[in-house]
Amino acid sequence: MSVGAADESELSELRSAVRDFLEAKSPEEAVRKLMESEPRYDPAVWAQLTEQLRLPGLAIPEEYGGDGFGPVELGVVLEEMGRALLCAPFFATVVLAAQALLASGDAEACARFLPGIAAGATTATLAVAENSGSWDPALISARAVRDGEGGEGGWRLTGRKSFVIDGTTADLVLVVARTVGGPSLFAVDGTAPGLTAESMETLDATRAMARLTLDAVPATLIGSDGSGGRIMAKVLDFASVALAAEQSGGARRCLETAAEYARTRHQFGRPIGSFQAVKHKCADMLVQVELAEAASREAARLAAEGSPDYPVAAGVAHVACSRAYMFTAMENIHVHGGIGFTWEHPAHLYFRRAKSSQLLFGGPAVYHERLLDRLGI
Amino acid sequence: MEHDMQAFAAEVRSFLDAHVAKAPDRTAFTWGEGDDSMAYFSSLPPEEEREQVRRAREWQRIRYENGFGWITGPPVYGGRGLTPVHDLLYDAIESEYDVADTGTLSVIGLGMIGPTILAHAAQPLKDHWLPAMYRGDAIACQLFSEPGAGSDLASVTTRAVRDGEDWVLNGQKVWTSVAQHSQIGLALTRTNPDAPKHRGITAFLVPMDTPGVEVRPLRQMTGGADFNEVFLTDVRIPDNHRLGEVDGGWTVALTTLMNERATVGSEGAGPVAAALSPDRLSALMRATWTWDDRALRGRLAELLVDVLATEHLNARALRKLHAGVAPGPEMSVSKLLYGQNLTKAAHFVSDVLGPRAIADTGQWGTYAWTELLLATPALRILGGTEEIMKNILAERVLGLPKEPGIDTKSPFRELGGVA
Repeated sequence: MSVGAADESELSELRSAVRDFLEAKSPEEAVRKLMESEPRYDPAVWAQLTEQLRLPGLAIPEEYGGDGFGPVELGVVLEEMGRALLCAPFFATVVLAAQALLASGDAEACARFLPGIAAGATTATLAVAENSGSWDPALISARAVRDGEGGEGGWRLTGRKSFVIDGTTADLVLVVARTVGGPSLFAVDGTAPGLTAESMETLDATRAMARLTLDAVPATLIGSDGSGGRIMAKVLDFASVALAAEQSGGARRCLETAAEYARTRHQFGRPIGSFQAVKHKCADMLVQVELAEAASREAARLAAEGSPDYPVAAGVAHVACSRAYMFTAMENIHVHGGIGFTWEHPAHLYFRRAKSSQLLFGGPAVYHERLLDRLGI
Repeated sequence: MEHDMQAFAAEVRSFLDAHVAKAPDRTAFTWGEGDDSMAYFSSLPPEEEREQVRRAREWQRIRYENGFGWITGPPVYGGRGLTPVHDLLYDAIESEYDVADTGTLSVIGLGMIGPTILAHAAQPLKDHWLPAMYRGDAIACQLFSEPGAGSDLASVTTRAVRDGEDWVLNGQKVWTSVAQHSQIGLALTRTNPDAPKHRGITAFLVPMDTPGVEVRPLRQMTGGADFNEVFLTDVRIPDNHRLGEVDGGWTVALTTLMNERATVGSEGAGPVAAALSPDRLSALMRATWTWDDRALRGRLAELLVDVLATEHLNARALRKLHAGVAPGPEMSVSKLLYGQNLTKAAHFVSDVLGPRAIADTGQWGTYAWTELLLATPALRILGGTEEIMKNILAERVLGLPKEPGIDTKSPFRELGGVA
């Protein structure tokens, strides 16, 4: 699938380049400042992330202006972004929107939109869920009708979308809406008439979400009429693996923070990490993190190979990483005790991100059945 | 290094191809067909067990004669002088083939006691026992644990008292795997109760046919007897069978424990591998009309995530081996998960079975799971309890400090452990 494939030493070079960049550009102070401002990201950092590291184009095919790497390389970047809680439209643009375009198989649309995404000039998002938050194509109720005013292949969209990541700032909004042919994918300009986006209050302020209201918004069909369900399924597998990478990076950060504190914090005249109750908690966190990281990296590898085992691995990674991140974020606070419960301590930022990531695509109530479905059970 | 590994892997495959067949696909199965045993511990009648040990010795001899009997051992004893990574890679490749299970010889004797003899025994002892062990002639057991010394192994109380050129041993060992098949045992004994507990221990190689050595099978909760108690009564051992210094036995024990081999990929062998396969578990749910129970399906998904993610962890460790890189904490993590996953699986399946798990209805593939259910408590205890494993992970990988303990400094006698 991918044109390029980096070997282990190139992957670790990529990792340290991204880590150095994020330590400089997305330290905790920057995250805290951005999560309380609009837009929820720093356009200057977004530009540098493109100019210095070419990250938006990393996993976009060369024919569309990207560098042609695949899910393995993207996974390294996302692990680091998850670790740093980077506030940026990367997940929405590069994972959700770019992958939806690629999954549509619509070469014209790819040629129109992907070069701008690869160049960091276009930010984009994908609007699927409505008020229920579900990714089930059967529950899509936003409607698309052909534009009566005779525009060439033009459509008008009407309905509401919720949980749209970076929905107030995206230049390009890809929307799944229902035609007589079924759920279909459409491109909408972020400034199109009839489109209004309002910020939603979010549990995790480092990931902006919006509610969109579409009132006869002009749109372009992407891929074939009625192919939205198939595109959603492909995007969901890819996005699960990408999210898993973010989650495993965040989970490892929580483990490291907890272990560091357990080594240095003294009570009863000894480091708290020497008490087995604390030590075993840290060991349990380590086990979950190792498992999550293996599941996420293996799923990325299988995705890159186009293996038939990839959809199952994507489901496994999604559950394993959701679970590991929530567990480590929670236990990290507990190991820190009272200080971990303060606003000033970063532990709650990870807790918020962990819970919101776990539930982003439906949570346990949905992802268990989705995995069993991928296994044919 | 990667090239070297590929060459070694090719050599291993050509040896195995020449001597044995590929293993049948263990994951493929049809509900209701074949053996439905879920035994983790062997429950063979004695004559079949003896036959199994004979086949194990024979396969070890073939390995030895072809240069794979002791991959990390020195050439002077028929070893190959290669790295532990080569050894692990050999195991992983061999697990794809249908070979005799050599666990009786290899897990304790060849994996742990052989390297200890090599590191600590006098020359004549090495010259005699090492070739015999790695050729498959001699089986060795570990006379370490005692009723009063489990996780706290350094508190052994079996006494060894000097008598001229000999030592006289008295005490009781327990949980001794393969003692009934062994020719030799490595015993930890207390030689100086006035020293701190780690500094008054001496190690001896005990020929198991020495008068005063009595092996009694220990029946475990599954009903079978996979372990033994070994009673030592006035057992006379010459001083040249001592390993290491007098009172220096803890160093010897550490060598043994450090050689406790982690395996990658080969844990998947045997009937319990089937216990964890998605096909097997979903077939069971269909056969018991529980496949549409939402609560059970949620638990099935959670269990399969653990199982499949553990497989991914193992697969990644294995790929590191092929590239000549020693795996990191994956190995210890995998060991911990193995016991936890089987435990979860056994309890999940019993809940699927319901009453079928409390009395045998005769239905294929149902009551047989109780064999695994009854074995699972052991998986969290043997080879280092879960708690000890977690201490090791937290201390070695995360750098957390050890628990301060006063009992490393006081004389052992004052700790109240001496009989």
